Amino acid sequence: MGLRQKIFDSQLYRDFIQRKATGPLRRYYDIPPADPARSVMETEFIALDLETTGLDPKRDEIVSLGWVIIRQLGVDFASCEHILVRPRGELRESSVVVHRIFDSDVADAPDIATALEHLLPQMAGRVLISHHAPIELGFLGQACKRCFGAPLQIPTVDTLVLALRDLHRSGQPMKSGALKLDNLRRSHNLPPFRAHNALSDAIAASGLFLAQIAKRDPKGELELNRILR
Amino acid sequence: MSIELEEIAEFLKQHHPFALLPDEEINALPKRLTARYFRAGTKVLSPEEQCLHLYIIRTGGTETRDPDGQLLARLSEGECFGVRAMFRNGKAANNITTLEDSLCYLLPEKDFHELAGKYPQFKYFFAQMGGDRLRSGMQLIESRDDDQLKLMSIKVADLIARDLVSIDKSATILEAGKLMSKERVSCLLITEGADEIAGIMTDRDLRNRVVAQGRSYDEPVTEIMTANPISVHPDDYAFDALLTMTRHNVRHLPVMKDGKAVGMITTNNLLARQSLSAVYMAGRIGKLTNPADMAKVIEQVPELLSHLIEAGATSQNAGHIVTTLSDAATVRLLQLAEEKLGPPPVPYVWMAGGSQGRQEQTALSDQDNCLIIDDTYDPEQHGAWFKALADFVCDGLNTVGYVFCPGEMMAKTDQWRQPVRVWQQYFNKWIEQPEPKALMLCSVWFDLRPIHGTKSLFDNLHRLIVSKARDNRIFQAYMVGNALTHHVPLGFFKNFVMIRGGEHDRTLDLKHNGVVPIVDIARIHALANGVEAVNTFERLHAIKPLPSISTQGASDLLDAFEFISITRLKHQVRQIRRGDAPDNFLHPESLSAFERSHLKDAFSVIKNLQGALEHAFGKSGT
Repeated sequence: MGLRQKIFDSQLYRDFIQRKATGPLRRYYDIPPADPARSVMETEFIALDLETTGLDPKRDEIVSLGWVIIRQLGVDFASCEHILVRPRGELRESSVVVHRIFDSDVADAPDIATALEHLLPQMAGRVLISHHAPIELGFLGQACKRCFGAPLQIPTVDTLVLALRDLHRSGQPMKSGALKLDNLRRSHNLPPFRAHNALSDAIAASGLFLAQIAKRDPKGELELNRILR
Repeated sequence: MSIELEEIAEFLKQHHPFALLPDEEINALPKRLTARYFRAGTKVLSPEEQCLHLYIIRTGGTETRDPDGQLLARLSEGECFGVRAMFRNGKAANNITTLEDSLCYLLPEKDFHELAGKYPQFKYFFAQMGGDRLRSGMQLIESRDDDQLKLMSIKVADLIARDLVSIDKSATILEAGKLMSKERVSCLLITEGADEIAGIMTDRDLRNRVVAQGRSYDEPVTEIMTANPISVHPDDYAFDALLTMTRHNVRHLPVMKDGKAVGMITTNNLLARQSLSAVYMAGRIGKLTNPADMAKVIEQVPELLSHLIEAGATSQNAGHIVTTLSDAATVRLLQLAEEKLGPPPVPYVWMAGGSQGRQEQTALSDQDNCLIIDDTYDPEQHGAWFKALADFVCDGLNTVGYVFCPGEMMAKTDQWRQPVRVWQQYFNKWIEQPEPKALMLCSVWFDLRPIHGTKSLFDNLHRLIVSKARDNRIFQAYMVGNALTHHVPLGFFKNFVMIRGGEHDRTLDLKHNGVVPIVDIARIHALANGVEAVNTFERLHAIKPLPSISTQGASDLLDAFEFISITRLKHQVRQIRRGDAPDNFLHPESLSAFERSHLKDAFSVIKNLQGALEHAFGKSGT
């Protein structure tokens, strides 16, 4: 992890951006972040996935969000949420092909500020789980800056990074597609899933996360900072 | 509901007991679940550990062991554990360990009980696992069947329809006739003093002994009554009462308890009942004079069996009734042989072994029998008579439909037609110097039942067998070794292990892999405890309170035996109905998912108790 990232993840930086944050983001920062010295069993996680109009957080927009909360290393299906987000501009055909969300679907959907207002309290005090986190962090960070005046800081576990570490440790050559969520799940004897939308991917990532933790420490006494990004 | 939770709902819909729930209930379930993941070899639950969820296996597999480490079950995708905890205030009963990396869905205890309260079928499924589940499942299956009266399960006491009508022995024939007319009964009990029975008088007696003989109505009833009538006990089975009536050609039987008359039953009470045909068949056999004619009666046994099973008879009922007919044929053939050969030169008793001995015959049975002759037997002098008797009866039974025993365990074989002293030597040798192979063959001789002749000849021998077998641990261990050669057809993940290839490809042998192992287990426990019964149900009931088997184990085994036996009989009935020859080879697909699941439970009960057997008695000789 680079120095720049270390600074962005530091308490000092957090204190700094907290003062700039407004609205729901301000309230988000009022709640202390998850303690990296505690065990994963005692930590609450939020597995999250989002769909966007493209890959550039500065230019593209979020069109849907899905998440599920993990408590005591159990995926709590009651906490599942999936929300569509109305982008400022019209949806481009190239992205509609990918996420199959049409203008008509999002016409009545909340805008990103309203969506974040709903999501941020769910993220407060929890650890983000994502498969390839830079996308989620980039888009959410941009949205927070735009809507509430400050970037988003959240302790994060990237299941892709954990999978990479496992692969490096095993010393086996990496097969193509080995890091795809689907294949990783299969390698942990998890049921196949159909990638439908942000929520299905979030749930899929949450299952993979449980398997990755069980592999490291079946009792879940592992300290959180051992698995953070 | 979102699509990903739909996937969970779809999964639940494919597995019992969730499949029994209405759609709207299943669709609401995923939101109540939590997913947890366990690496292979993880101890998920330990006895007395808090367990506030029912665990549903989504992928992977687990193993359940009791607190002593005894393997109870192996579970795989779609099966549940933590069930016992749901009924013990959230305290786990057993050890659960994952055998593979497993993903489980956890249903909170509260939601579990809510569903169980709302849906009896859901509750039935879980009414604790194993034996209990089997029991409640059987009730469910039975209740679906035609609820006809089951003569075999009815006691005489249940048939006593009305209060006894009686008259003192000082009464005249006229007074008795008037009372019968007034009370509208066909039979009067003649009493002496308070409730001492003097005799019985029927309307047939009035016709035959009064009117036809021109007797005066003023004579005392004692002149025309039948003194010391045959009676039955209230605890006798109605079926046996009917058999007694047929045998003695009477239509009324007083019911006596502790020397007092408590009621009267008549053929009318019984006539409409299902097993009547069996009684007529037995009666008919008793009147026939050659085996070929008897064969025509015995030919109807499959049809009779179908009727019985369709009427809801238990396998114990059916076994008893079907065996009654082979007993009747045997007795009749012995009578015919004696008529032909003259009276026996020395006393003998004809014994049935194997399934006839245990009264557990089905639609297809061969013969297992032997002769025990009085010790005054002299082979030179009497040998020919007994050889002729045995040949006549065994050949006769073969003609009638009870084919020769492939192992030649028949009185026809010289070795099995011997005086008491030789039989004593046999049993001494089997018990004191057991040899695995010899024991395997002679297990039929540990299920002996006297059929005809001087039954006391068997008594001494029986006492000897019972006491020797009870005391000899080495013999018991050899019997266990034998018993464990019959494997239950369950695989590692509780799936059926079927016969592969050949004529019976992809079937289960319900006899050798289901019925026989239980018969073996019951026999060993019975012999080791000096229990004299030979019927498997009776043996299991007798050993239930004894320490060699757990009470729960014995109850579970009783249920497993009934379930497998009845499944086997129903399978045979289906074949008979199709016009096929009945056999013991079942295609599991011919069962419903529900029955299959119970059959698995029954097999796992056997598996557990086979393990317990080895534990209790040791195992030798294999």
